[in-house]
Amino acid sequence: MNARGLTTDVLLGVVPIALAVAVWQAISSFGYAPVTLLPPPGLVFARLAQQLLTSSSYQQAIAVTLFRLFAGFSIAVVLGVGVGLAAAASPAVNAVVRPIVRVLAPLPKVALYPALLLLLGFGHESKITLVAADALFPILLSTYFGASMVEQKLIWSAMAAGTPRRQILFKVVLPAAVPSILTGCRIGLVISCIVVFLAEMITSTEGLGHLLVTAARTFQAVDMFVPLITISLLGLILNGLLQGLRVWLLRGFPEV
Amino acid sequence: MSMVRALISRLAPLLACLGLLGVWQVAALVLNNDSFPTALDALRAVPSILGDKESLINIGASLRRMSIAFSVALVVSIPLGLMMGRSRFVAAFFNPLLMITYPVPKAALMPIIMLWLGVGDIAKMLVIFLGVSLPVIYHSFQGAKAVEEKMLWSGAAMGLTALQRMIRIVLPAALPEILTGCRTGLVLALITMVTSEMIARQSGAGNILFNALDMGQYDTVYAMIIIIGAMGIGIDAAFEKLRAWLVRWSEPGFDIPLSFA
Repeated sequence: MNARGLTTDVLLGVVPIALAVAVWQAISSFGYAPVTLLPPPGLVFARLAQQLLTSSSYQQAIAVTLFRLFAGFSIAVVLGVGVGLAAAASPAVNAVVRPIVRVLAPLPKVALYPALLLLLGFGHESKITLVAADALFPILLSTYFGASMVEQKLIWSAMAAGTPRRQILFKVVLPAAVPSILTGCRIGLVISCIVVFLAEMITSTEGLGHLLVTAARTFQAVDMFVPLITISLLGLILNGLLQGLRVWLLRGFPEV
Repeated sequence: MSMVRALISRLAPLLACLGLLGVWQVAALVLNNDSFPTALDALRAVPSILGDKESLINIGASLRRMSIAFSVALVVSIPLGLMMGRSRFVAAFFNPLLMITYPVPKAALMPIIMLWLGVGDIAKMLVIFLGVSLPVIYHSFQGAKAVEEKMLWSGAAMGLTALQRMIRIVLPAALPEILTGCRTGLVLALITMVTSEMIARQSGAGNILFNALDMGQYDTVYAMIIIIGAMGIGIDAAFEKLRAWLVRWSEPGFDIPLSFA
């Protein structure tokens, strides 16, 4: 794709977003919807900028949400990559893990949240556990498939060169599975964003989700849009960072 | 020997269920906490919920909303995804919009949508629809993009119109990928269903679950978790059967869905 094609694509992509904002503006400025139901975009974005830049309680809320998100996501990455690799490397582990994953993966984890609340309390722990539980499976599965799709020839070459079995796992299988693992992490990250927000909406005393619920209870329509836009922005930024990490980690790989 | 092994692999998910319930039972006995009943107690509460007419109406309402929203989402998303996969213009048009909406928790839109549409069925179905459509669009897009050009050229050379090529070549070729998206969408539909009912407490399985939590009826809470979990596993297993039958001609894929987003 040449540079000109890319610019056209970007321009094309901006059109529907601009259109959506324009329709939004039109609906509120022609009075089809009262400001209490649908505040005009200008008001929402001004409020967003004000909250992001000046309100320390808002920044605090973002920090709390981010902390929960990262804690849950990191647990999911460590567990997912570890168990996924173990299952790919050892048939015995695989025989145990596979059926458990088949049962737990399609289970709607939000339904577990009341149990987590009762067991772990209303603080960070229950939210972090829920995020980890939801982000775990995509990472685990993509690690497992990435690791079991490693070309047999690579493993044979390493064995022929005298690499001990244990090291093959870390020197051959893990690096070869990295593209797949990163795809899983990307899915897990989006899920983490969604789940942390939902968990905070259900019961919480702090965080972005809590702000949305408070705004909803007091019918502050503007303040309902602001946390939603913030979490969408956070998701985009984190996704971009992960993409950067991917490019850096995979710099030696052929185009994936 | 091989028959025994086949039997074991058949029963493995069931064994896993039993194992998990066993772990739960032991953990509950060890912790001995009032708000954490044993697995047996929770299981004992299941029949009383399923025997109650009102709960059944609630669960039925949940399933009805989910299936309607899921079907509408498929009807809209699959053609859109396929068109995005075959036309760079359409793809460039929709891609950024989908990218920004992806990390927004769809169920979090519920309070806003409730302001406009009320707490009834329409608001909930709209939220489920939004949750399902993104993965289905994404996977249809990927599937349609990967269709071999040569097949399309042959189709065009034999005089198929663009629409016929789309239905007779692109749709079947992308079907395995589309179905992966549908399976992801199904799991998401269930999650969104529970969450939307939790936020707009009016009817549904999520309503029973969170009301029981608020009233401290812990047996009901855990029994509902079992029921909702069983619904998820059952729906997923049924869909997997359907998927295997629909794409029986394609190369055997993985029996666990790879993506959940």
